Amino acid sequence: MTSPVAGVPSSLVEVDLDDAAVQLRIDESIYPLEAAYSAAFTFIDRCFVFLDRPQEGALRVVLSTKDPAEGGEEALRALVGEFANELLACAWRGRITRDNRATIEAVTMQAMAGALGPPSLDELEEFDFTEEPFEDPLGIAMSWEEKYGKKKPDPDEDAEGEP
Amino acid sequence: MRELRFHRDLYRGEDVDAALKVYARFADFERAEADDAWVVRVRARGAARERAVAGELANYALGLTIRGRG
Repeated sequence: MTSPVAGVPSSLVEVDLDDAAVQLRIDESIYPLEAAYSAAFTFIDRCFVFLDRPQEGALRVVLSTKDPAEGGEEALRALVGEFANELLACAWRGRITRDNRATIEAVTMQAMAGALGPPSLDELEEFDFTEEPFEDPLGIAMSWEEKYGKKKPDPDEDAEGEP
Repeated sequence: MRELRFHRDLYRGEDVDAALKVYARFADFERAEADDAWVVRVRARGAARERAVAGELANYALGLTIRGRG
């Protein structure tokens, strides 16, 4: 028989002290299934983890202590609390990866291309050097000479000074 | 007897079967199918053993399912 946990809404968490288990209800719109899987995977070495879908858009995670003797209310409360924290971390990591997928893939591709070594002569021959240079408003890509070198006298100015 | 319902959205049938093969020697299993779940009934010597085998079976199936998703 399940009963609520002190300090947690009963609609979210319930304990079954007879079976040394605690169940957590998850809203999939907040915590995607992938986050639930990731969190569950980190817990299968320390407790029994069972996933269920009570209705569309909702998940139920049942955590049971491997040793029933260790399944007191406080221990189960701590267990489900840790799982909830891990679930939040997994959901956040998933969101960061999703939002930055393009950047991550671009950086990875550049790293892999760099690891392949310098281009061959054939690749250089095929490279289009007529491409427009990238914008450099701060002049970072300018060489020292370009940035600080002496200005060459303007031949038109000399011509104007002559009588 | 303990019954486990592996929801089809959350567990892969082949992973439940693979878990059953691994734990076949530890308990007696009866497999059935429902519309939304793979149903496994576990019978073993004693409630404690049933609980332990059912739990390990569920963990194994979950682990395989998660790994199978890449």
